Amino acid sequence: MDQYVTKLFECWNCSKQRIGLVILNQPIDEQFFHVLWSKAKIRACADGGANHLYRLTEGHRESFLPDYINGDFDSILPEVKTFYTEKNCKMMETSDQDLTDFTKCLAVMVEEIKAQKLQIDTIVTLGGLGGRFDQIMATVETLFHAQKMTDLPVVVIQDRSLAVLLKEGRQHHLNVNTGLEGKWCSLVPVGSPCLTTTSGLKWNLDNQVLTFGQLVSTSNTYEDHDPKEGRKPVRITTDRPLLWSMGIKPQ
Amino acid sequence: MDEFAPLDCLLPSGKQRIGLVILNQPIDEQFFHVLWSKAKIRACADGGANHLYRLTEGHRESFLPDYINGDFDSILPEVKTFYTEKNCKMMETSDQDLTDFTKCLAVMVEEIKAQKLQIDTIVTLGGLGGRFDQIMATVETLFHAQKMTDLPVVVIQDRSLAVLLKEGRQHHLNVNTGLEGKWCSLVPVGSPCLTTTSGLKWNLGELRACRPQVFPSTQTPNTHTHGHPRGMFPSLHHPLCSIY
Repeated sequence: MDQYVTKLFECWNCSKQRIGLVILNQPIDEQFFHVLWSKAKIRACADGGANHLYRLTEGHRESFLPDYINGDFDSILPEVKTFYTEKNCKMMETSDQDLTDFTKCLAVMVEEIKAQKLQIDTIVTLGGLGGRFDQIMATVETLFHAQKMTDLPVVVIQDRSLAVLLKEGRQHHLNVNTGLEGKWCSLVPVGSPCLTTTSGLKWNLDNQVLTFGQLVSTSNTYEDHDPKEGRKPVRITTDRPLLWSMGIKPQ
Repeated sequence: MDEFAPLDCLLPSGKQRIGLVILNQPIDEQFFHVLWSKAKIRACADGGANHLYRLTEGHRESFLPDYINGDFDSILPEVKTFYTEKNCKMMETSDQDLTDFTKCLAVMVEEIKAQKLQIDTIVTLGGLGGRFDQIMATVETLFHAQKMTDLPVVVIQDRSLAVLLKEGRQHHLNVNTGLEGKWCSLVPVGSPCLTTTSGLKWNLGELRACRPQVFPSTQTPNTHTHGHPRGMFPSLHHPLCSIY
C-alpha cells in the first residue's frame, strides 16, 4: 500500500503549502480568508460565493479579485456580477444541471492548474458545511467527484469544522500538530462501509468496519502526548473513501 | 406502504401527535411554539436545555420538559439547577458510545411505551447545523432510531427537515401542507440505494435507478412536479435520507 503523507493542515500557518482557493455561497470566516487568499496561487468563487467576497472586501475590492467566477449565476447579485465583470474576472457560466456549482468550480480549477502549470498542493474551499442540509450533502458528493478529477486533496472549511475525503487503498498520515487543531475529530463512512485502521486517536480502530447504524466515529479526539514532543501524525487506512473531519481551534 | 406528511408537525391544525426532542442548537422560535403545544412528551438532550431556558425567559415554568438527559457536559449549572428544582426528571446517561441524542430517543421510546402515549412522530429541533461531526452523528442517530422504534423521527433546523426512509417499503410523502419550500433531496448515506420515485421534478426509475456507486448523485436540487399528484413514492432497498 502506498504511503500517502497528507500534510493537510499546514495550509494556513505554514508557507510551504501552495493552495488553490474556492469560495462557496456561505458566510466567510474573515480570519481564515486572509491567510488563505494571500497563499493562494489561484482563486475562484462558485456563483453566490462572489457575493460574500464582495461584501467582505468592501473598501479594498480591487485587491481581492478572483481569477474566475463560475456557476449558473442564479445566486450572484447583479451588482456583484457587474463589478467583477468590469474588473475582468473570468465569468464562466456553467449551466450543467447535473453538477453543482462547486463541482463545476473544481473542474475548472483542475483544468486551469494544468493549463497554467501551477504548482499546487491542496485545494481549499471556504463554505459548504452549513446552511441548507441538501447542500451540505452535495458538498460531500462533490468530494467524491473531486477524487476522480484530481489527486490533489480537496479540503472544505466552514466555521470551526474542516472536512476532507480520504482516498481508499492508501495509508494517510495526517499532521495534527500545527497548534490549530480543535479538540474533536471524526471518521464517517458516508458512502459505504469502510474497513478502517487508525493510530493516534483516543479511540482507534483496529481493522474494524465503520458503517452507519453500527459504528461511526464522531466526537473522537487525539491520543494523549508529551507536550514536549508534540502530537504524532494520525494514521488512517481505509478500503473505501472515508470522510475525515476535525475541529479548528478558535483563534 | 407508509403514508407520511413530513411537515404536518409544523401545522397548528396538523393531525400528528408528536414527541419533541430539543438538541443543543439555536431553536427556531416559530417552530418551537407550534411543536411544544402539540407535543405529548418533551425532552432536552443536555445543552438543548440551555436553549430552552434562554428562549422561554419570563415564562419558564410554562415550558418545563418531561426530562433532560445526557452526560451533562453542555448544560449550564444555572440551567441544570433551575430544571432540577422544578422537578424535571434529570437523567444522567453517561454511555460514551452513544450520543446524547441517541440516548434521549431511547428514553423517549421507553416513556412512550410505559405511559402508553399515542404518538405518531418524534420531532427533533436541532441537529443539522454547527459542528460537522455532530451533523453526521445526527444521521447516525437516525439509523439507531430505526432499530428502536417504528415511529418516524424527523429532524428540523433552520429551514431544513431530514428523515431517514426505511428500506423495503413504499413511502408516500404528503408534500401538500403548504409549508414545503422549493427544494428536496434524496441522499444515500451509508450505502448505495436502489431507488424509484414519482412526484419529483427529476424522478428515479427503472432506467435511472441509482446504480451502486460509492455515493450516487444526490439529485439536488430536486423539486415537486407541477400538476401531478403531490405524493412521492420511493421504494427502497436501503435506508435513504430524505431532506426537504
